[in-house]
Amino acid sequence: MSVEVRDIHFSYGKVKALDGVDLDLPQGAIGLLGPNGAGKSTLIRILLGFLSPDRGGGKVLDYDIKHQQTEIRRYVGYMPEDDCFIPGMDAVSFTSYLGELSGMPRQEAIKRAHEVLFYVGLEESRYRMLETYSGGMKQRLKLAQAIVHDPKLIFLDEPTSGLDPQGRSEILELIMDISSKKDIQVLISSHILPDIELTCSYVVILNKGKPAAQGKISDLKEIKYNLYEMRIKHEREKFLQVLRDMKCRVEETEDQLLKIYIPPDLDPQEIFRIASEGKTQIRHFVKSQTSLEDLFAEVVGVD
Amino acid sequence: MNPVIVTNNLSKWYGNVLGLSDVSLKIEPGITGILGPNGAGKSTFLKLITGQIKANIGTVTINGKKIRNNYTLFSMIGFCPEQDSFYEEMTGWKFVASLLKLFHFSAKEIEERAEKALEIVELTKDKDRVIRSYSRGMRQRLKVAQAIAHEPEIIILDEPLNGLDPLGRRKIIRLIKEYSSEGKTIIVSSHVLPEIEAMTRKIVLIHQGKVFAQGDIHYIRDLIETHPHIISIKCSNPRELASKFIHEDYVLSVHFDSEQDSLLVETRNRDKFFALLPPLFVNFKIEVQEITSPDDNLQAVFDYLVGK
Amino acid sequence: MTIKEKGYTHWEGRLKNGKFPWWPITRYGIKLTFKKKFFKFFFFGTLLPALVYLVGIYVSERLEDFKSMVRESPALLNINPGYFKSYFTNDFLLFMMVMILVFAGGGLISDDLKYNSLQLYFSRPLRKKDYFFGKASVLVFFLLIVTLIPGLILFIFKLIFSGSFKFFVSYPWLPISVIGYSFLVTAFFSFYALLISSLSKNRRYVAILIFSTYVFSDILFGIFYGIYKSPYFSLLSLKVNLQQVGAFIFNQKMQYSVSWIYSFLVLAGVCVLAGFTLKKRIRGVEVVK
Repeated sequence: MSVEVRDIHFSYGKVKALDGVDLDLPQGAIGLLGPNGAGKSTLIRILLGFLSPDRGGGKVLDYDIKHQQTEIRRYVGYMPEDDCFIPGMDAVSFTSYLGELSGMPRQEAIKRAHEVLFYVGLEESRYRMLETYSGGMKQRLKLAQAIVHDPKLIFLDEPTSGLDPQGRSEILELIMDISSKKDIQVLISSHILPDIELTCSYVVILNKGKPAAQGKISDLKEIKYNLYEMRIKHEREKFLQVLRDMKCRVEETEDQLLKIYIPPDLDPQEIFRIASEGKTQIRHFVKSQTSLEDLFAEVVGVD
Repeated sequence: MNPVIVTNNLSKWYGNVLGLSDVSLKIEPGITGILGPNGAGKSTFLKLITGQIKANIGTVTINGKKIRNNYTLFSMIGFCPEQDSFYEEMTGWKFVASLLKLFHFSAKEIEERAEKALEIVELTKDKDRVIRSYSRGMRQRLKVAQAIAHEPEIIILDEPLNGLDPLGRRKIIRLIKEYSSEGKTIIVSSHVLPEIEAMTRKIVLIHQGKVFAQGDIHYIRDLIETHPHIISIKCSNPRELASKFIHEDYVLSVHFDSEQDSLLVETRNRDKFFALLPPLFVNFKIEVQEITSPDDNLQAVFDYLVGK
Repeated sequence: MTIKEKGYTHWEGRLKNGKFPWWPITRYGIKLTFKKKFFKFFFFGTLLPALVYLVGIYVSERLEDFKSMVRESPALLNINPGYFKSYFTNDFLLFMMVMILVFAGGGLISDDLKYNSLQLYFSRPLRKKDYFFGKASVLVFFLLIVTLIPGLILFIFKLIFSGSFKFFVSYPWLPISVIGYSFLVTAFFSFYALLISSLSKNRRYVAILIFSTYVFSDILFGIFYGIYKSPYFSLLSLKVNLQQVGAFIFNQKMQYSVSWIYSFLVLAGVCVLAGFTLKKRIRGVEVVK
């Protein structure tokens, strides 16, 4: 467990930001979600060792969050949301500079900076001045400086913000590659749920200073047994009629997606028999689950 | 349906720099998504159809009338820009109200409309606070409010979900869909493809100043011949299933995913392949858990058309 | 035989807890300053007085040889603490030190504010103290090179040229004064420049402010002194305050009949103000928005 904290409370003056947070985060990629003002940034500040909780305590990477904050920052990488860079430097200097500030010896920092810039795809522009970088390149540079010192825990704040579809796809691929390594923990805070679903296996949803839900995405999303989503082609009416005759409930969305509720005594494989007989093609067949978005809405309680 | 916005050979350049080249489009009522890489010409396109800049070649007409300098048409359009530029010292209410004044509404109408718009975006309780104190999500919602306050027929939104949390995104998407069902014409430009997919199937893909694709996502996917379709089947015995169709010449490749207990099939002829399946499942008693088309989505279409 | 693994690889080294975690900041700041146009020119210019004074010492020792050339009274070239004081407090040197501040200090903190890079610094194991120390060291580096080093060199060369320790015996406290005053003026100017650099995000405004505050304070003094003739107005001028304290440290007569203690307090006040402002402007905790 790289993050274990208990009963964290924190207030800014009279405003209570965190109201009793317990976290036991497993390995792998973890999504941190929550409406604005839920306490996400405060939690992150505490986990990264910038703030001390009013009450409660715990460890990040085996360092105490109250007494060993500087150590935490040594082994943690942070990719900020906003644009941030240092003028007058090129990518190699920038990345190695920040690596040095994390405690790497100078030569090692330069060597590692090159490696990391290759990894994030900036190899051809690594000697160019940062002022000339495009939005997507700056984002990758931010990722590079977050991993140059080989941290054990990386925090990514809205990693795809401002990127075009290609850029988004590339950053998400990098994130998935990094989190596939078993010994780095990746924590992603994002409002774009499809990104979280793609990259993370575990989520923490914060609301009003408390975790409203936490767990593996697959556990949290309920599988609705016997409810299937389908798309079909050919002999539509006949197919649906047979299903209705067999006591299935059929609904159709505006996108021509079928939602079919199968009674418990009916074997789902029967559907293929019906399709085979009726010469209907089944082009999409998935057991229905609550989407992450629905889960979020349900858990945050507002709709 | 009659197209509402029509562009003919629309071209625009800035000195040497290409903005848009020979774009002829017909946009109908409903939601149309506009996507493209950075620098592709999307913002140029939006500026041209809202009449903010003048084309070098070509025309833009709205309901048959040319847009440029046609002030009466402007009242039919609501525009939500990507950048933030507010008068920070104004209150949210004042901001919406003063923009409404430009449409020559009476004072009473202005009040009603502003109230309604702010209520729709859920800024009613913050309407008397200055914009400087607004969070990012609130500013975004304010931009949407000013775009809809005068109840335009055409609403153009550039990255409207930027900075909103998942609930906010959901609400705005719902709002957009409502407007669409009322018969309005809505254009949404976004980089976050899953969000466009949540709103509409009609898209326009702009790249290198040209229209690379226009229409329904699924039909576009069909048209991309160079990339055969990929179908994923999760079932009880994938290898046995594969052995039954592997001799068909329209099956180009089969890939086994042992972790997932599934197989990925590449085929150039979906019709024949899908027609083949149900009888195979029944006859060989194969239990099917899932059938999906992993590349029948907007990101894949984008990658195939634009990608390296 | 192995193949390098594709994808992300780990670093096998260990992160060390260095004794000087702020050193990269200083090193980079110095490098950046040297990159600026005309900086080397100004830097060299600041060393000119040292060169002149060094020649002066040489000449004074070889006065017999130069007697034919120099007809004025030898008192002009009498090497005593007053000579040192006049090096350290001459207008030109102080002015050039301010120009160094303009080059080195213009973007020192203001760039970090403008480009949001505080987030990058403070997500490292860097305390606020380290950050400030590293930034200040850039200025300290340049300033000490034009004060402490020349001062000590002048002293040593005096001993060398005169061939004896007599000078040292007469004024044993002189090296301490040299060191003390160098550090004082360096500390003051560093705080001064850091304070101004943290006030604005625009490095040009900062540069202009560093320069004009110094010059203006002197002009202001000149105006009031001209009208009211009271020596207390000398406390308005940063330059004069430095000179007053300098005169005291080198045991010389002060130019204005105001106690050097007041001058010192004015200078210290600026430093304290700088301390508070910096603490307030640089908030480590705002790293995560």
